[in-house]
Amino acid sequence: MTCDKYENALLLAAASNGELDAKLARHLERCSTCRMTLRSERELFSRIDSALRAQVNEDPRPGFLAQLRLQLSKELTARPGSNRAWHVAGAALALVLVAMFYPLVHARPSSVQGNLQTPTIRVPQSAEVRKSARASGDLGVRSRHHSKRSAVQSAVPQEPEVLVPQDEQKAFAQFVACVARRDSEAQAVVMPAANKTVNRNTELPQVSFVDIAGLQLARARQEEWINQNVSSE
Amino acid sequence: MQEFTWPGLIAETELAFDLEKAALRQEFERRLEECGTLAFRVALGVLRNAADAEDIAQEAMLRSYRRFARLRDPSRFRAWLVRISFRLALDHGRSARRRKQRETAWATDLPKPTAEDFAASNEFGRRLQEAMGALSEKSRLVLLLTSMDGHSLEEVAELLELPVGTVKSRLHSARKQLAEKLR
Repeated sequence: MTCDKYENALLLAAASNGELDAKLARHLERCSTCRMTLRSERELFSRIDSALRAQVNEDPRPGFLAQLRLQLSKELTARPGSNRAWHVAGAALALVLVAMFYPLVHARPSSVQGNLQTPTIRVPQSAEVRKSARASGDLGVRSRHHSKRSAVQSAVPQEPEVLVPQDEQKAFAQFVACVARRDSEAQAVVMPAANKTVNRNTELPQVSFVDIAGLQLARARQEEWINQNVSSE
Repeated sequence: MQEFTWPGLIAETELAFDLEKAALRQEFERRLEECGTLAFRVALGVLRNAADAEDIAQEAMLRSYRRFARLRDPSRFRAWLVRISFRLALDHGRSARRRKQRETAWATDLPKPTAEDFAASNEFGRRLQEAMGALSEKSRLVLLLTSMDGHSLEEVAELLELPVGTVKSRLHSARKQLAEKLR
């Protein structure tokens, strides 16, 4: 029982493997059981330590460091490549985005064109009409739709198309026919009259000179004229 | 607005950058042998498998190389390398254990270990490994590092950026726990 109080001190001494406490050393001189316990504990700790050292101090195989150097070299050469890979990935992403959004951006004009294909009328153009239309610049033959076309499309010589609502198609066709026949009314619409209108609005009315001196009456004839008018009323 | 830079200045900057990179590489190569072995040993202490430990050490070294420019201080670099190797090894060990559990759950007709396998396995080593697995990560790392050749308590304390007293108490506690389990 007296050995119990030395138990912790024994374990501590075995674990630390250092100098023994004087009190414990005196006890160990007398107690063979504690001496055996200390010896077995020291053996255990030494076994643990040697097993740990054996585990931990193992050297890597000879080729390990060479392999490590090789991997580092690969890493060095791969790094610019990895940037390139990012560039490629970025380009691929951009392509995907373009592919996704291109139909959305370009679908609107094409769908409009598609929807209005039925009411669109191709206008057969005679040389005169084309000329007059070019001169007028803003008349129906040159439609808004046509002006919105790309430069490439407009560069190609083709008949202009006019977007006409469905219910006005017939009337417009008649109008076009009138233009084609050089109908005077149709030509009056097509031919530019803007300048004339402007002149008409701004010019002063032309009034011919009237000599009013002859209209002055003598006093006697004036009174006679007044009397005549009063009596007639 | 973007500042104008002379082309010659850009070339000089690139050259300086390349030179710095080359100097870093040289410095890292000088430490490769010592630190590569250190990383391997830390990983081996956790995993008890040389092939796995090599993989972990390689990964740790590559990671440390990527961060080497920010870890020029030698003591800090070694400390960082020890920590990353230990952490990677622990993660690897855990995932390997999980994998093993999955495999054993699926493969019911795996070949049973032979008597030769039993003989080859070191019973004490196995028990020690189990006991170490039960230790806290902090105590385990201290135990591993102090067991390595050439690592005094002061060096371990420096490596782990801890006071020597803390290292001592962790070591003592770890060894006591191991002894209790192996007694």
